Amino acid sequence: MDQQQAPRFFIHGPSPFTRLIVFTTLSLALMASDSKFSYLHQVRQLLVTAIHPLQFVAFSPFKLTNDVQSYFVTQQSLKNEIEVLKKKNLYQGVQLQSLVMFKNENDNLRTLLETSKAGAQSSQLAEIMYTGRDPFTHKVIVNLGATNKILAGQAVVDSAGVIGQVTRVFTYTSEVTLLTDKDLSIPVQVERNTLRAIVFGNGRNNSVNLPYLPANVDIKKGDKLVTSGIDGIYPPGLAVAIVESVNTNVRSPFAQIVAIPAAGTQNHRQVLILTSDTNNLVAKDIEKVLGADAQNPLNKKEKVSRRNHGPT
Amino acid sequence: MLKIRSTKKKKSQEETMDQHSRRRVYFSLLAALLLQLLPFSGLLLQIKPDFLLLALLFWLLRAPQVCNVGIAWTAGIMMDLVSGDLFGQNALAYALTAFLAVMYQRRLILFTVLQQSAYVFLLLLVNQAILLMLKSFSGAEYFGWVYFMPSFTGILLWYAVLHSRYSFNFMAHK
Repeated sequence: MDQQQAPRFFIHGPSPFTRLIVFTTLSLALMASDSKFSYLHQVRQLLVTAIHPLQFVAFSPFKLTNDVQSYFVTQQSLKNEIEVLKKKNLYQGVQLQSLVMFKNENDNLRTLLETSKAGAQSSQLAEIMYTGRDPFTHKVIVNLGATNKILAGQAVVDSAGVIGQVTRVFTYTSEVTLLTDKDLSIPVQVERNTLRAIVFGNGRNNSVNLPYLPANVDIKKGDKLVTSGIDGIYPPGLAVAIVESVNTNVRSPFAQIVAIPAAGTQNHRQVLILTSDTNNLVAKDIEKVLGADAQNPLNKKEKVSRRNHGPT
Repeated sequence: MLKIRSTKKKKSQEETMDQHSRRRVYFSLLAALLLQLLPFSGLLLQIKPDFLLLALLFWLLRAPQVCNVGIAWTAGIMMDLVSGDLFGQNALAYALTAFLAVMYQRRLILFTVLQQSAYVFLLLLVNQAILLMLKSFSGAEYFGWVYFMPSFTGILLWYAVLHSRYSFNFMAHK
């Protein structure tokens, strides 16, 4: 009858040390499997969908204040904004007229060159919900997800240029890695001389690097870097960054080039997610060239050199 | 017979008490997670204390039979999910920190608020240091001392809350 019972004062169950060992092993295993294999992608997606209501609740007070603020805008500020927009519209209208002309001309030239024509790029307007919680990474979460047919790898832009790329898609949200993130790289071209390079995020301050370029490279301060489009992800010609400084060091065979992103990666609420350009013309051109090369490898040099100077 | 009944009653009472505090712990952890989820940005994001870890440490020291290393690990997994980190990064850091908290729990509850705060500050720093180490394995960079800012704000919050609570209790007793 008199059963010996441990007082409630003591902690029941396995000792903290046993628990520690178990959970440490478990998290190490999880980390390894998450970084090396992509088994956990489905699990993560499911769990993120499960937490979505929580995120919605946390986001709602900010949304409310935003809405209220945007409701109580003064008439004067609206008037000013309309004035500015009208002027901008006028300038852009003029530019657009010449653009139509150029487009027709380009199409004609492309038909002459027997390359595929550029299709119109469609896009979706997304709103940035919050910036990532990790000061190490430059990521933002936007309010479109798998239900809006967003795919990982789509390019994200604003009116001034490239912001980054969709890296993870959840059911109602998706994660956009900014171009200043250490892990993101974008193939670019110098607008002035069509020199190709790859831009890497710096990760530290709001800037990007162009490593692995020789010390005597023809890049100057103020050069505009635009997407080259050869990756098949970013459509060609989008502004990426403006060169801030070019340093050459005797110790290093490479130039240290720092550029500042053209788009406001820090101060935006709305961004455009470009629909994956499956018939990206430059990528198609390259494929075509490669296919042709496989057939007659003798003409290789000539064709490649033509492609290098052709599409900008 | 009577004795048995009384012990049974006591046990059930204890169980309901336990359940009650269990619910309270889970609820407060959920609230802390919500605070953690608030869409801060810029400077506010940099100085934002780790609310979830603070709540965890609070319960680890006060209700170690409810809040244990396993709960800390689960909370860490939640943090991994919402921050989009590698699975298990925050979980490992939280579990290790929780273990360090539980190890000296008996002694800590006898300490004054100030002494406790000092230890909790150490724990917060340890948590961030572990995270820093794990993240640098996957190629992150160190930004200087600003990285440890959440520990400083966290301990200020901890001290402010506990101090106000104690003074409040003291006043109520008077």
